[in-house]
Amino acid sequence: MGDIRLAWRNIWRNKRRTLLTAASIFLAVFLALMVRSLQMGLFDNLIQVAIESHTGHIQIHKKGYWDDKTIDNTMLYNDSMETAVNSRKNIVVTVPRLEYFALASTGMQTKGVMIIGTDPLKENALTHLKSKMLSGLYLDQSGNGVILAQGLAGFLGLHTGDTLILIGQGFHGVSAAGKFPVRGILHLPSPVLDNQVVYMNLGSAQDFFGAENRITSLSISLKDPDKIDLTLNELKSAVNLEKFEVMPWDELMVEVMQQLKVKTASGMIIISILYMIVGFGIFGTVVMMTNERIKEFGVIVSVGMQKSRLAAILVLEMVFIGLTGALSGVAGALPIMAWYHFNPIHLWGSMAQTYIAYGIEPLLPLALKPGFIISNVAAVLVIVLFTCIFPVRRVLRLKVAEALHK
Amino acid sequence: MNIIEIKNLSKVYDAKTIPVYALNGVDLSFKQGEFTCIVGPSGSGKTTMLNLLGGLDSPSSGEIRIANTDITSLKSRQLIDFRLRNIGFVFQSFNLIPVLTAKENVEFIMQLQGVKKDQRDKRTLELMQSVGLGEKINARPAKLSGGQQQRVAVARALASKPRFILADEPTANLDSKSAENLLEIMEKLNREENITFIFSTHDSRVVAKARRVVTLEDGRIVSDISKN
Repeated sequence: MGDIRLAWRNIWRNKRRTLLTAASIFLAVFLALMVRSLQMGLFDNLIQVAIESHTGHIQIHKKGYWDDKTIDNTMLYNDSMETAVNSRKNIVVTVPRLEYFALASTGMQTKGVMIIGTDPLKENALTHLKSKMLSGLYLDQSGNGVILAQGLAGFLGLHTGDTLILIGQGFHGVSAAGKFPVRGILHLPSPVLDNQVVYMNLGSAQDFFGAENRITSLSISLKDPDKIDLTLNELKSAVNLEKFEVMPWDELMVEVMQQLKVKTASGMIIISILYMIVGFGIFGTVVMMTNERIKEFGVIVSVGMQKSRLAAILVLEMVFIGLTGALSGVAGALPIMAWYHFNPIHLWGSMAQTYIAYGIEPLLPLALKPGFIISNVAAVLVIVLFTCIFPVRRVLRLKVAEALHK
Repeated sequence: MNIIEIKNLSKVYDAKTIPVYALNGVDLSFKQGEFTCIVGPSGSGKTTMLNLLGGLDSPSSGEIRIANTDITSLKSRQLIDFRLRNIGFVFQSFNLIPVLTAKENVEFIMQLQGVKKDQRDKRTLELMQSVGLGEKINARPAKLSGGQQQRVAVARALASKPRFILADEPTANLDSKSAENLLEIMEKLNREENITFIFSTHDSRVVAKARRVVTLEDGRIVSDISKN
């Protein structure tokens, strides 16, 4: 009869109590996993959409551009740079962009707009921009036609085939002015962008701003986003960090990330309260299991078992109860999480409409990450070990003669 | 040769307020193979004496030497280890571990001693047969009568091959037939295997079987009679 078997048998002395304690742990772990899986699935989806709609996984800029986004903070983009970046195995596509503001005018209407000069093919490979076209033609590689976001086109009263006049300030203060035929209209999910974006090919933008061969950013899409740290390090060692900045997506979307962190924190607080309640339940069981066996502890120590070994058996008993509950919780939640991970929930009603309006498919896949499953099981074990302080102290301070007369 | 020597042993409770002497300057010794009974009225110090002899409690003053080891000077861990290798206990209310079978209860002590499995199995079977429970080795305590449980407790006490066995009112919770049966077993083990038994008891049947009777009153020895 090893200590492990003895501990296992001990927990089944009072089956009902053990099952109730394990059931409370099961419920807490099950709920925590479902809530976190749903929350993380939602966040992952939003981040993925943000990455795929514009940002990319990594961006390279001239050093200081991200803090001061002016046309003067551009960098030279040439074949050698493209080759140096694209030679990384994990990179699928790199999109060079020249982004800056100008004044758009037509008839009596004038509006500040954001011009995004980009490589049409590469842009489409990253953001599927072509699929967002509502009318007209997508950008071509060489012409000077532009495509307008729907909201902006509506404000300016422009349609495909009309002409857009742009006036602004270019590289190193040169005047930028030009007439551009509208090739097409597209819809952008973000209302802010939909009301102000003008796409043109990179060459046209460089000509317009007088910034030959210059870009503001190089957006990079990765084959395996989980290896972003590795690729980031490779890129950082490949470029001169005194001249360039290499930023991952979470640094590019700081505000979004902060909002998600706040939401994550609120979710974690709810889960912590849940675990705290369960912790008190476990503690109640520990106190009962300890107090009703004081005499038995006295006998066991009197016949020759060291107190530390007895204390370890008691800890094992509680770990068994904790693991029984926690692993049952994982076993209960895992199939549901896996099912909705591979078969995302189809959203309906107003929520689905909101998703569609933002150009996001109204699907919500549940996250399936070993990290948070393990951390929930670990949380239960930590609570269990914390509650074990009571019986361990009780046993280590046991006065055998007194215990025998309980 | 004495296996236990007690010198000027005292145990005082509430020493700082109103001191109560459970034992007061007791000198006593026990030889190998004794079948000794400690008697006396309630509060005379019988249980305290057994607790001190077993290292379950510490004296206020005095010395207890068992096989030339002064157990009052041992630290907690050393004392537990000393008990494991030298002293067997039989308690009034059996105190078997309820989740273990009779065999496992007996085996438990040997496991603590680190005895190998084949040796444990052999000795467990021998002990269970010697207490007349060879057929009940796989029964849990709840399935055994009080007398049977106490016989398992005796087998458990013997399992570690102790120098002596301390039995605190072993027949108190038994009917007369079971008590008689238990006494016969212990007497036989004492006679045939020279195992030293020290009892505390109120039971006249135990006193009648004992070959030495030590009487305590108010923490002092008032008589120490050996029967030959």
